[in-house]
Amino acid sequence: MDQIPGRKGGGQKELMSMTALLFYGFATVAIASAWLLVSIRNIARSLFLFFIVLFSVAGLYVFALADFVAITQILVYVGGVLVLMLFAFMLSNKELLKDLQVGVSHFFALPAWQSAVIAASFLAVLIYTSLQLGAEEPSWISASREKDTVITPTDQTIQHIGVQLMTRYLLPFEIVSVLLMAALIGAAHLTRKEAKP
Amino acid sequence: MPATALTYPLLAALSAVLLPFLGFLLSAALGKKAGNGAIAISAISLSLLAAGYAFSQVWNQEPIHVQWNWFTVGSQEFHVGLMLDNMAVLMLVLVCLIALPVHIYSAAYMKGDPGIHRYWTYLSLFCFAMLGLVVADNLLLMYVCWELVGFASYLLIGFWFTKDAAVQANKKAFIVNRIGDLGFLIGIALTYSHLGTLDTQALVAAPETLPAPWLTVAGLAFFLGAMAKSAQFPLHVWLPDAMEGPTSVSSLIHAATMVAAGVFLLARIFPVFNETVLLVIAATGAITALVAAYFALTQFDIKKILAFSTISQLGFMMVGIGIGMYPVALFHLSTHAFFKCLLFLCAGAVIHEMQHIKETHGLAIDPQDIRNMGGLRKHMPLTFAAMLIASLALAGFPFTSGYLSKDALIVHSFEWAALQPGAAKLIPYVLALVSMLTSFYILRLLAKVFFGSFSVTSANGTLRPHEAPAKMLVPMLFLAGCSLFPLFSIHPLNDGHVWLMQGLTTTVSTLPPLRMLHLVIPLLTASATCIAATVAWHWYVNGRYPLKTTGLFYRLSQNQGYLDTLYDATVVRPILRLSRLLLWADHYIVDRAVNGLAALGRSFATTAAWIDQRLVDGLVRLVGKLAWGLGNVFRRLQTGRVQHYFTTLFLLILVILLYHIVVLL
Amino acid sequence: MIPLAHFLIVGACLFAAGLYAVLARRNAILVLVGIELMINASILNLVAFGRYDKTLYGGQVFALFAIVLAAAAVAVALAIILNVYKFHKSVNPEDIKNLKD
Repeated sequence: MDQIPGRKGGGQKELMSMTALLFYGFATVAIASAWLLVSIRNIARSLFLFFIVLFSVAGLYVFALADFVAITQILVYVGGVLVLMLFAFMLSNKELLKDLQVGVSHFFALPAWQSAVIAASFLAVLIYTSLQLGAEEPSWISASREKDTVITPTDQTIQHIGVQLMTRYLLPFEIVSVLLMAALIGAAHLTRKEAKP
Repeated sequence: MPATALTYPLLAALSAVLLPFLGFLLSAALGKKAGNGAIAISAISLSLLAAGYAFSQVWNQEPIHVQWNWFTVGSQEFHVGLMLDNMAVLMLVLVCLIALPVHIYSAAYMKGDPGIHRYWTYLSLFCFAMLGLVVADNLLLMYVCWELVGFASYLLIGFWFTKDAAVQANKKAFIVNRIGDLGFLIGIALTYSHLGTLDTQALVAAPETLPAPWLTVAGLAFFLGAMAKSAQFPLHVWLPDAMEGPTSVSSLIHAATMVAAGVFLLARIFPVFNETVLLVIAATGAITALVAAYFALTQFDIKKILAFSTISQLGFMMVGIGIGMYPVALFHLSTHAFFKCLLFLCAGAVIHEMQHIKETHGLAIDPQDIRNMGGLRKHMPLTFAAMLIASLALAGFPFTSGYLSKDALIVHSFEWAALQPGAAKLIPYVLALVSMLTSFYILRLLAKVFFGSFSVTSANGTLRPHEAPAKMLVPMLFLAGCSLFPLFSIHPLNDGHVWLMQGLTTTVSTLPPLRMLHLVIPLLTASATCIAATVAWHWYVNGRYPLKTTGLFYRLSQNQGYLDTLYDATVVRPILRLSRLLLWADHYIVDRAVNGLAALGRSFATTAAWIDQRLVDGLVRLVGKLAWGLGNVFRRLQTGRVQHYFTTLFLLILVILLYHIVVLL
Repeated sequence: MIPLAHFLIVGACLFAAGLYAVLARRNAILVLVGIELMINASILNLVAFGRYDKTLYGGQVFALFAIVLAAAAVAVALAIILNVYKFHKSVNPEDIKNLKD
């Protein structure tokens, strides 16, 4: 990031704030979309907002210096999962479009307060923990900083990921492929049309 | 000294006593098959032989006394034993000698009776008990036999138990005897408490061991026992009613033997009685004799006349004891046994014949009522002869045995009275009067039954009574022979030669004799008898009866002095009232109390049940309900909805995380 | 660069949103979307921590696996939702209460 020439301003300080700005922008979009998507009544709009969430999160991955993961996210998640959901949703019965919230008539679905409370509490707990983590880093992170094993923007992550995938993480890789096959067969079987007796 | 060795006389006496018991057991075991009486008759005959042998060995010899240990209570031993002295063996032979003719007579008299097997059984039982009584050597054994005799009498009086009168009579006999038994028991208790033993010989040897007041009480107590058993006034009321039994039973038990048991007891323990008691005995005897003779004058039932006659003669015997001359009493007992038994047997023959006439001609007459009889002399001559002899013996006519005993009694009573102060002097005069009354009533009986004409008629014409059968006549004639003087004395008119009295008078103090009386008294009684005979003939046979039958004295005599009514009102009714009161108390108080307790228990139980049901079960059910309620609460968690499960899950995780953050960090 | 805590906070927000969707929404597909949001949040976490792991690249590899698994899960889940709809005639999780006591 340091070596990318700044366009709008100069100086490192501006560049840093640019990165941060972008990050916070992506973050805001993602969070806002997520919260919006869980609130509105219209499912089609929810799914499109989900689409936005996924893209934003992919952008966030980039800022975490996991570019391959970001690309994979866009490819698989957006291109695969979201499309699947859209197809399943659009091509199915009208009934599926209904969202049965009792006694609600406007745009926003009123949150069931117990769930909201639980979600909010979880949020609070997680934020608190994150701040704690931010306050004092875990030892292994400090150790890796010292040993200089932190990923830098100039690392060739793809190559390294590929190597690790084929050597260290081979077993999970293979198992995942088997799992994918199982999912494929399972989904296909579940949705086949029964032959009329 | 009491010995335990068995000698022949002892064995004989023992077998004499036990043979009838064996007969009783066999007859009872055989039941209906013992109807012909062979067992009973053979038992009593063998008994007679044994008794005769014992008598021959013991009379005027050394007395034999044996004892065996019976049972022990604490440290006190009780014995069963035999005392064979003159008195005992005499009574032994007497009882057997009377019983045998009666047994033979019964075979004919009771023929055809459906319960005759019971009759032989009870008769054997009675004989055993009576023989046991006379040879018993201690008061306890004597009491046992006393009770057994009473029991046998009860069974035999109520022999025809389907007749209500018989049942009432045997109840009365038993209850009145019970009063006497109470006296006997008191006497036994006093003896035991002062002497420590119940041996009669110990008692007669040392009667002064009882202190003076207790001696009198004991004497009176024993006399009370004898009073009831020997039918003295006022406890005589059972004897007339006891005539409900068969006549042969009346002859044996209620004339000759059982009623004599009282006299025998008094003779046995004679030294116990002091002056006071003897005076009471004599007075009671005299009163009894007079009252009974008075009642006998107007009775119409032939057996009732004889019953009162028995009571009267028992009074004589008691006087004999009271004046201190118990040998004379025992002599009179012996002679009375023979002629009274004979009188009853003859009466029985007459009744038997009257019954026969009644049944064959279907008449509604009382076979025992002398007004239905008459002129039987012609039809039943032998019966008449026997009865005449017996009547003369009863009246005390010379040449009979009765003359000897009765006149001896009267003479000795005069001798005794000469030494007595005050009212005791009246006693002999009373006896003399009674003699005259005796002659009168018995000759009245003879006149009405055997003289005149037979008053019962029937539609078929004249009735012919028959003579009694041989089986009945032979015993009667045998007893008639015994009622005459030769059995008892060589000299017919003088009682000094009576071997019986000579055997018994060894231990009795003699009274200063009044020679004159030995002549006067017999003359007086004999002439009285003749006068009575004439009067009786005139009144009853010729039909000129001068007195009113509705006068007070007549009615008093006929209704037996209204004694029964008196007893009924004063004793029976209060007791019945008391028992009804107790019944009421039992019903209303005791039963109510018991029911109340039961109700209380029930209410406790109800309360306990309520507690158990409501509280205990409620507690248990409460626990169950609690568990159910708690489970129900948690059941609600299973809604089947996934999102609810998720909610719960994340809530729990949240709680755990919060716990970790807040508490632990 | 960007502090670790910021990534985590973003992830937390996404997770909370997803949690709310799972617990409260009455459409099965939206529940599925909520699940996906939660998975995304966790992948973000993985990646955020993975920045400090150059030797093993564990965070990023696992993020890849997670993406794959999420995709498979979605596929199967949709198939299941379709079947459930065929049977119960409703996609409201509130209506599927056969396992109710």
